[in-house]
Amino acid sequence: MRTFTTRHRLATGCFLFAMLFMSACKKDLFIYEVDPVDLGQFDGAKDREKSNQEFAAILHANLFQTALSPNDLYKIDQCIQSIGDKQLAREVMISNFMNKPGVMIPTSEEMQADVDAFIIATYNRFLVRNPTEAEKTWFRNMIASDPNVTPELIYFSFALSEEYLFY
Amino acid sequence: MDRRKFIQRTGAAAAGLFAAPYILPSGRLFAASGAQLAEHVVLVMFAGGVRQQESVLQRYIADAQNDTVEGNILYNMLDGAPPSEKIVYGTGLGGIDPIQSILGQTLQQQGTLFREMRAVSAGHYSGLNSLLQGNTAATQGLQQKPLNPTIFEYLRRHGGFPATKTWFVGNTIGNSVPLLNHSIHPNYGSQYGANFFAPNVTFGPAGDQYLSDAKVYHPEDQLTPIYEMKAFLDNSFEHVGHVPSGLGNTPEEKQDIKAFMAEMFTKTQNGTIAHPPVHDSGDLTTVGYACEVMKWFKPALTVVNMSGVDGCHSSFTGYLAAMHRADHAVGHLWDFIQNQVPGMAGNTVIIAVPECGRNAEPNAILDQNDWVSFDHSDSNSMRVFGMMAGASVPGNLSVGGEGNQVGIVTDVVPTIAEILGVKNEVMGAGMLEPGTLSLFDRI
Repeated sequence: MRTFTTRHRLATGCFLFAMLFMSACKKDLFIYEVDPVDLGQFDGAKDREKSNQEFAAILHANLFQTALSPNDLYKIDQCIQSIGDKQLAREVMISNFMNKPGVMIPTSEEMQADVDAFIIATYNRFLVRNPTEAEKTWFRNMIASDPNVTPELIYFSFALSEEYLFY
Repeated sequence: MDRRKFIQRTGAAAAGLFAAPYILPSGRLFAASGAQLAEHVVLVMFAGGVRQQESVLQRYIADAQNDTVEGNILYNMLDGAPPSEKIVYGTGLGGIDPIQSILGQTLQQQGTLFREMRAVSAGHYSGLNSLLQGNTAATQGLQQKPLNPTIFEYLRRHGGFPATKTWFVGNTIGNSVPLLNHSIHPNYGSQYGANFFAPNVTFGPAGDQYLSDAKVYHPEDQLTPIYEMKAFLDNSFEHVGHVPSGLGNTPEEKQDIKAFMAEMFTKTQNGTIAHPPVHDSGDLTTVGYACEVMKWFKPALTVVNMSGVDGCHSSFTGYLAAMHRADHAVGHLWDFIQNQVPGMAGNTVIIAVPECGRNAEPNAILDQNDWVSFDHSDSNSMRVFGMMAGASVPGNLSVGGEGNQVGIVTDVVPTIAEILGVKNEVMGAGMLEPGTLSLFDRI
């Protein structure tokens, strides 16, 4: 008859301790994930109207990729105040910017090379969001159907849009 | 389709065919029913707080400065001999050379003078509001659009006038002046507002830098797609709340205004703006551009604001000079209409009324001639004169006098409405100061 020696007891104890250690410390593994959400899609949150100076500053940055000085912004604000029809004032101001050297507008060839990319980039640049499929389709059709539609005219219409007045 | 339905639909279609040509841009079906007394009105808001004593009462420095020299300094507007000495209101060093009268016959002789009317406010902005709204709302804020409809909106809504037929030419963008071209009244508002320029800014150095070099786009090939794309973007904008609407200028009107602006920048650069002979103040240059507006657009209503007289807070000498120049401006306006704007000559009424008067008692400020200055807050500030001249206005007529007030400054609104044929609509709107009447009804 075999008897448990001290050595056997020690081996059994180590085995049980090891089993206990391994099983008792095991934690459940949780993996948290989120569904992908396109944050650039929604325009309904734009409920604050830009001031004249904000409008001019953002427009200049969008068209020239440079900032205007506070003195320039002050003078542009005065110009807009001095004209009763604000939309007309903005039209004149935008067309002045379009006439100045340094305005950064893609060429028609660049636009035609990848119309979808141009549309998305224009929405991102001016409206800080992605276009919906319907918007992409509409502009794609507009660009395809009217040879007079240039990137400059598209930029002009975005700068003149109501959504561009809000942030 | 049975016989009855056929007759009903045919009748409706026929009615539509008859009515459609009469639907005005304003949306109303028929033009205002009242007969017009003239086709054009020019209102001069004269000119920043004018005391009766130095204007219609012709006391010069007799009342204000404890002196004895009296006389008339409004050469174009009023009859009366000018001061014989202590001339400080003209040109040259010390203002010793008065500006010669432009008109061969004063406006007093040509029209009707209301020697003393009642102002409804001693302040500028509320005074200007009373001239344009026919009322002064008790809750009207100083940096707030008019609460009640302005005469511009009455005319455009009830008379069907296009936006470019109503103009407000302001001498500044300060003091809330640009806010006065339309109200925020829910039944009227911006879509019935007047076009506005503050020409000293629009066509001044700032405008020259940021507005003068506008690219000219082709109206069909380029502007049409721009507006089409803008309309699509606007429809897609899921905005809930107030989106500022425009003045209702049509694309053609906008093109016209842009062409006018281009012309003004050219004329400004060439020094050929129709300024008065003397144009050494902001008020006078403003009037020069107002003349250009009238020549170009031939508006039904042109309102011109001047405010140089308000320098009287700190300089009585400057006040006299500014008032003399305001008279020069009015004379030039009237002369220009008669001789340079064929479409308006003989068919225009000019009205000039101060928005408020000034105090009887001076403040403590002395000017370069040691003359005391005047603010505007007491009962003397509620005393003003008024005058009108032109088509259908009785000539050489004087109404009321010192101690016999006839008329309220708010009368200006129904007066213009009567001249342009919408008096009944304006009176019926029920938003005028109680007791307000057309000045024609005061005669």
